[in-house]
Amino acid sequence: MVDVAVIGAGQTKYGNHPLGLKAMWAEAATNAFNSVDKNFEANLVDEAFIGSVAFGGAQLGNTAAILTEHSGMKGCSVRRVENACASSGFALRDAMMAIKSGEADIVVAGGIEKMNDLSAERKRYWLGVSGDTEWERLAGLTFPGTYALMARRHFHEYGSNHDDLVNISVKNHMHGFENEFAHIRKEVSFEKAASGFMVADPLTLYDCCPTSDGASCVILAADHVVREFTDDPIWLKGSGAGSDHLALHDRHSITQMSATQKAVAQAYKSSGVSARDIDLAEVHDCFTIAELMATEDLGFANRGEGGLFARQGRGRRNEGDVAINPSGGLKSKGHPLGATGTGQAVEVFKQLKGTVESARQIRDAEIGLTHNVGGSGATCAVHIFGRDR
Amino acid sequence: MMDEETVEITEQEILDMEEQETIVWKGYLACVGEDSCVVQSPWYLGDDCVFGADSDYTTLAIAAIQLLQSKGTQINSINALNDVEGSIMFMATGVEVMQTSNDDSAQLSAEWDLCIGDDARVVVCKTDCEVELWEPEGGLDVDEEFHHEMTSAWEKECQPEHVSQGAYVSQQQYQEGAAARLKLMSQKVDGELIWPPRQMDGKGNTMPQASTPLHGVATIESWTKLAAAGAPSEFSIRAPLLGGISTVFVRFEQGPRGVFLLVDDEENNPKIGDKVQFAIRRIYAQEGYIRYGLKCQIIRD
Repeated sequence: MVDVAVIGAGQTKYGNHPLGLKAMWAEAATNAFNSVDKNFEANLVDEAFIGSVAFGGAQLGNTAAILTEHSGMKGCSVRRVENACASSGFALRDAMMAIKSGEADIVVAGGIEKMNDLSAERKRYWLGVSGDTEWERLAGLTFPGTYALMARRHFHEYGSNHDDLVNISVKNHMHGFENEFAHIRKEVSFEKAASGFMVADPLTLYDCCPTSDGASCVILAADHVVREFTDDPIWLKGSGAGSDHLALHDRHSITQMSATQKAVAQAYKSSGVSARDIDLAEVHDCFTIAELMATEDLGFANRGEGGLFARQGRGRRNEGDVAINPSGGLKSKGHPLGATGTGQAVEVFKQLKGTVESARQIRDAEIGLTHNVGGSGATCAVHIFGRDR
Repeated sequence: MMDEETVEITEQEILDMEEQETIVWKGYLACVGEDSCVVQSPWYLGDDCVFGADSDYTTLAIAAIQLLQSKGTQINSINALNDVEGSIMFMATGVEVMQTSNDDSAQLSAEWDLCIGDDARVVVCKTDCEVELWEPEGGLDVDEEFHHEMTSAWEKECQPEHVSQGAYVSQQQYQEGAAARLKLMSQKVDGELIWPPRQMDGKGNTMPQASTPLHGVATIESWTKLAAAGAPSEFSIRAPLLGGISTVFVRFEQGPRGVFLLVDDEENNPKIGDKVQFAIRRIYAQEGYIRYGLKCQIIRD
């Protein structure tokens, strides 16, 4: 079987980006191309998988074709991958499989979302479109509400509490403060995060990620061509994916995500590593309760002890067991839906290459994990990267 | 929402009650007789009985028919004017609604009549039945400004030009799920009830039709209250008036779980473990079509 390496990765700054879709994608692609150690040309790309929800409907059809056309990849085989907030996590998985199949040597996986160029009213119609429209939305739920239901139930079943979520928020803002690509570069105190405006009881503003514009791009290469582009590749050691019922009420439990559990079990197995081996993890913290649950589902904390894990600061950069969201996560770095999954991979690539801002560098980082969730947990893709093959 | 003197009643208790007694039924005030039933909103603006935040003649009429049905009364069809959504009433109760745009009784052939007046009250009675005057107990005053703003909000929301700009449940999609949404119809597979209905099982077999109703009692397992700004766009006109919207995650006695809004967006916070029952109310309107559905009402001791 062919091994797959990441040879380049780049992204735009997340936030209220001044550029439109084509220019944003071109910026991310350029940053990815320029990150390749040796010469790289866009026309070398065999396949491209671009994740996007196509938020707002600006380019709902043929999204990938127009983006690649404007980034020098004209003529290659392209498609948009849509799996809600996990769109580019799955684009990355599809890109990896294209190389493993032997049909492609150089493949681009990326993602993009433009969320802040809509009127406030139109934006509300597009927020939460990845939940169960017929049964959850008609009951008044968008994702803050859905995750609030999970949070309250987790508090009830395991004795976790809102202070645990506040600790996650404070940590991720602290991590993102030094990240030049982050949407919200602002540290917050525990007191401030604990007293935020209530969005969906018990979740406050400081428990919720922002809506961001952004694009991200990762270049993968087959093992037999890697050395043409770099002598220091980051290997994509393992991948896993899973799905679950779309609606919360159909799931076995609302305090854990079986899609994550399936995905990470596959990823650990295919990479030959375990949770204890992970140095850093970019975790899908669209809401702080999502990170709390993920630390349990990914095996960093025992079942029901995600709150304790947060309270003890075990996910803090260069202090805890594993650095959780050293980029600032979705909470601080931002969440441009379709771009988030490959944006996580950009962070892990840079951390393992040692090219992030020095203040953010995870010491002796050898193995990193990305965890990208679609919606409230209907889909999940997990990837494991390492400096060693 | 009711005062301490007036409590929600169970279907069994209805069988034992005396005529002219005021009961609370589906969040409304009601009086039921042998061949008749009066159901009205509990809300008053001065001397006028007015609709609550998510009620109309259709929801009152459904509650009235369900009250008579809970007594064992058989109703096959009912005469009604066009002030109600006949198709929704049929989907919710199974009673055929014979509608006309005027009160020409020659055109109406059912054995039962639905009578409505100027206030938020309906009478369901046999065509030859005389209904006695009934003055309910337990009425509540509604804030005048809130009432007018809510009425205005619904008028705006019900306009045909009020359309979706994104997420969308079409009339066809809504009606496909109506039996589950309005009557809690579930599928029975190997003794297990499945709700909402599914299409196929893991072996590729088509699932049976949803024909087994869930019991109308469930327990809250979680809940949230969304700030108005966080509510789905479908609720964006009314949510600011309500101060947000409340959703509960419940488990039915037979196992399935679901999420529902609270009736009248009840002010009191729910608690995990609270029992709820269900009533049909307006959910939202788009393109001039009102989506109705079951909402939860907390059963208070």
